[in-house]
Amino acid sequence: MSDAATRRPNGLALFILPSALLFALFFLLPIGLMALMSVLTGNPVVAPKVAFTTRHYARMFDDPYYLEVIWTTIRIGLVTTLVALAIGYPLAHWMARIRSRTGHALLLMAVLAPMLTGIVVRTFAWMTLLSDKGVINQTLISLGIISQPLKLMYTETGIVVGLVHIYVPFMVLTLTGVIGRIDERLEQAAENLGASPLRAFIEVTLPLSLPGILAGSLLVFALAISAYVTPILLGGFQIMTLPILIYQQISANFNVGFAAALGIILLMISLLLVIAYNHALGLVSGQRELQ
Amino acid sequence: MSASIEIAGVSKIYDGGVRAVDTVAMDIRQGEFFSLLGPSGCGKTTTLRMIAGFETPSAGAIRVDGADITHVPAHKRDMGMVFQNYALFPHRTVAENVAFGLRMRGLDKATIAAKVKAALAMVELSGLEERRPAQLSGGQQQRVALARAIVIAPRVLLCDEPLGALDKKLRQQMQFELKQLQKKLGLTLVFVTHDQEEALAMSDRIAVMNGGRVEQVGTPAEIYNQPMTRFVADFIGDTNIFRGERIAPSTGEAALDVGKGLILALPPSADMPGIGVLSVALRPERIRLSPRGEAADGAPGVTAHGVVENTNFLGGAVLYRIVLEGGHRVLVQQSNAGTDHLFVPGNGVTLDWTPADLVVLKD
Repeated sequence: MSDAATRRPNGLALFILPSALLFALFFLLPIGLMALMSVLTGNPVVAPKVAFTTRHYARMFDDPYYLEVIWTTIRIGLVTTLVALAIGYPLAHWMARIRSRTGHALLLMAVLAPMLTGIVVRTFAWMTLLSDKGVINQTLISLGIISQPLKLMYTETGIVVGLVHIYVPFMVLTLTGVIGRIDERLEQAAENLGASPLRAFIEVTLPLSLPGILAGSLLVFALAISAYVTPILLGGFQIMTLPILIYQQISANFNVGFAAALGIILLMISLLLVIAYNHALGLVSGQRELQ
Repeated sequence: MSASIEIAGVSKIYDGGVRAVDTVAMDIRQGEFFSLLGPSGCGKTTTLRMIAGFETPSAGAIRVDGADITHVPAHKRDMGMVFQNYALFPHRTVAENVAFGLRMRGLDKATIAAKVKAALAMVELSGLEERRPAQLSGGQQQRVALARAIVIAPRVLLCDEPLGALDKKLRQQMQFELKQLQKKLGLTLVFVTHDQEEALAMSDRIAVMNGGRVEQVGTPAEIYNQPMTRFVADFIGDTNIFRGERIAPSTGEAALDVGKGLILALPPSADMPGIGVLSVALRPERIRLSPRGEAADGAPGVTAHGVVENTNFLGGAVLYRIVLEGGHRVLVQQSNAGTDHLFVPGNGVTLDWTPADLVVLKD
């Protein structure tokens, strides 16, 4: 009796069903297929004789070119994350602490406004700014500051600029939530005890906002390493990242198996980061969980 | 060394013209337990925050031992503060919390450790050094906050409703301990509270605030026995307030006609010239109660007859609400002298008092 009662599912649990189905159908299934493809010699739908193989992975790790691509992708992700954090933290702190409701609304709009425009449009806008005949170079040349146009586009810097612009809102919104929950009186207590405002920030606010820093960084990094449009347009295929390589393998080389292996590697990088994030968060707030 | 504080005509006007604090002036003496008492929104916390340096006065000056600190930043004021929610650093241990102020003062590790140990011993928290604030009870957190504030030997200790979150028993215990500690260390302590009992029990002097202004400053006995304004009389303890017109009856003594057939003889001190409208307060415990018909009819102006409407048994005392013959409702408090002497609703009673117990109020 009691056993049946405790096992009877909560009626509300049914509401999870649509999202569970969606998740299984469009997330687990494709990833499972991708993992499968990455260890097959060919596409089982068109080629009847397929066998298991590790050659896709072996190819990746044998050829320094692919390792270089992976490293470039991670490097762009790291730099984008750090710059987004440097820009986003002060803004988030301001937003979390601003007293005026109007001020808060204006800041929020300023942060969200870029997200109302498509990524492609925003990237094109950056191209008009960054290209050799773009606004920045033309201005600097006409002012006589430089004689040759700076190489802003088709470089990693150009890609990072475009990515930071797109992903700063994610950083700001994540951080604002966390900083907003830190009691202002903690900073005041620190100041009352003799800490300068800067010291109070370093001793109290910064460590307490670490979960937000980690979450925001994770989000931006994962988005940046999987970005496709911006690296293509601002990198002009001269900077190769994993997503671009995957696209090429599928559309130009028709090497689905290798593309799947690259995809798995991209997924692994993100997954490792999530694990590291959870671990770091556990260390940061571990003592708080003791309660 | 403890300091004196002078608050000279301080106002705080927020954007939008809200006057949170309106030309407040008071002198807080060295080593004094001084309470700012008032309902929420009366400006007591804003006043405290201006002393601490978290708010800047719109006008006026704050001086500590004669030196103007109005524009000195909070971290250079050398004051300890206990916050309403304690504001303990959640990511640090008890010992680290207490050590914080000492660390900011650049003391060496050995000195810090010794002082932290002594401070925790003083608030009876030895052994909990390595706990986090979240692992402590409310009372323990309160003690940590206190230790953190006094370990830096502040010139002034500021407390913003520090006992508000504790249950009644613990609260009373902490009241005794805080008061004892304050006397032992000779601290100048500014204590913000909305609880009049707490203020009366602990303070050397109290400033009663209302609507951003100071209504009265005085010792607990002065505040209770000689309230100057209607607000103070009403806010501190139970009281009966009568408002009426001053008359000079045939007897020659000044009296107050409060309507519905009730005339109160005014105390001799209230010899204000002329005739006018004024309010008087009469504390419930100053009224004597006897069964109707037992007492001889006293002089007019100091007696009244009525019927017990309601009783409120307080334990050591009983609070009666009595409807007078004219319709006035009056609170009367009698000490509990045993069940034989208790009145029940419906009993006819006679009330009497002496004119000296009436306090004339400013509106």
